[in-house]
Amino acid sequence: MNEVHGTRPGGGAPWDCGDVREWLPDHVAGRLDAEARSGVEAHLSACVSCAEELELVRLLHAGRPRVPEELPDRILEAVRGEAVRRPRASARRPWWGLSAAAVAAIALGIGIASDDSTSIPSSPPETLASEFEEGEFWVSDDGLLAGAPSLEGLSDEALMELLEELNTEGPGGSA
Amino acid sequence: MNDERRLDDDVPDAALVERARSGDAAAQSVLVRRHHGAAFGVALSMTRDRDTAQDVVQDAFVKAFGALDGFRGDAAFKTWLLSITANEARGALRRTKRRRETALDDAAPVAAGGPDPAEAAVTSREAARAREMLERLPEKQRLSVSLRIDEGLSFREIGEVIGSSEGAARVNYFHGIRRLRELME
Repeated sequence: MNEVHGTRPGGGAPWDCGDVREWLPDHVAGRLDAEARSGVEAHLSACVSCAEELELVRLLHAGRPRVPEELPDRILEAVRGEAVRRPRASARRPWWGLSAAAVAAIALGIGIASDDSTSIPSSPPETLASEFEEGEFWVSDDGLLAGAPSLEGLSDEALMELLEELNTEGPGGSA
Repeated sequence: MNDERRLDDDVPDAALVERARSGDAAAQSVLVRRHHGAAFGVALSMTRDRDTAQDVVQDAFVKAFGALDGFRGDAAFKTWLLSITANEARGALRRTKRRRETALDDAAPVAAGGPDPAEAAVTSREAARAREMLERLPEKQRLSVSLRIDEGLSFREIGEVIGSSEGAARVNYFHGIRRLRELME
């Protein structure tokens, strides 16, 4: 559990569909405190559409993939193997006498190493989206957002309008 | 092991990262056990193959621990790790030329990824169907939905992982949910 939400976003007004739908994953996973849970449940008892969405979120949560039990040990074995290997690798010198790091830097500089999956961001990459999905649809293919070149290019106001549209035009409408 | 058990309870990631920087095996172990599941979820969501996903997660942790000196700490370790995992998965997809969207029409549900046993008796069939429908969503919608529901990440954190703004992550999530509701009808 990453977060425990306690208060309704925006103050003490009654929970609306937007709030509830945003927090359904936390509700299903038991991450809400008693006050928030009570607010969500009160809304769900009166809103068919949000109750239907709750069922979907429940199903998705119940069907989440099982993580292989052996994976942590496998990772640690690889990490420790790498830690053992690393000093040896750095101690070796290529035949022309440069360090491995220098060779890598030269390779990068002349574009030999082109697979950027090897790069490590010092913070989450901001360009991952455009690099990975350029030309692909990552808005709906149902035409609702047709013509939107990229969500990244939209202002906060435009994003809020889209959210509003999603909230009001979702299956079954909203309460 | 005793050190690891003491560390696992309350020590925040930032402190573990500091210890892991100097090669503290116990700290590394806790970080792995704490976050391998989320990393596996990202890798599986992107590669659709459990074996490939395990390779991706293993490589991501090796790279992350090898690059801790460059980790600035302005993001959480978890989101940083998940962004590395996403990069690794992207590399794996490139190498195998198995782009997910090319197989949307005949997409199979993720193999052997069933629900927990206690839940399986009641909802396994519908849950499996929901996950199968999830596999049909575009990449960013799929990741936004799975990171929000499976891992409880906030939209800000999801944005950090998938390389988008918080608002875009939110829109991708809600659009994915809306599409899933249509597919499940």
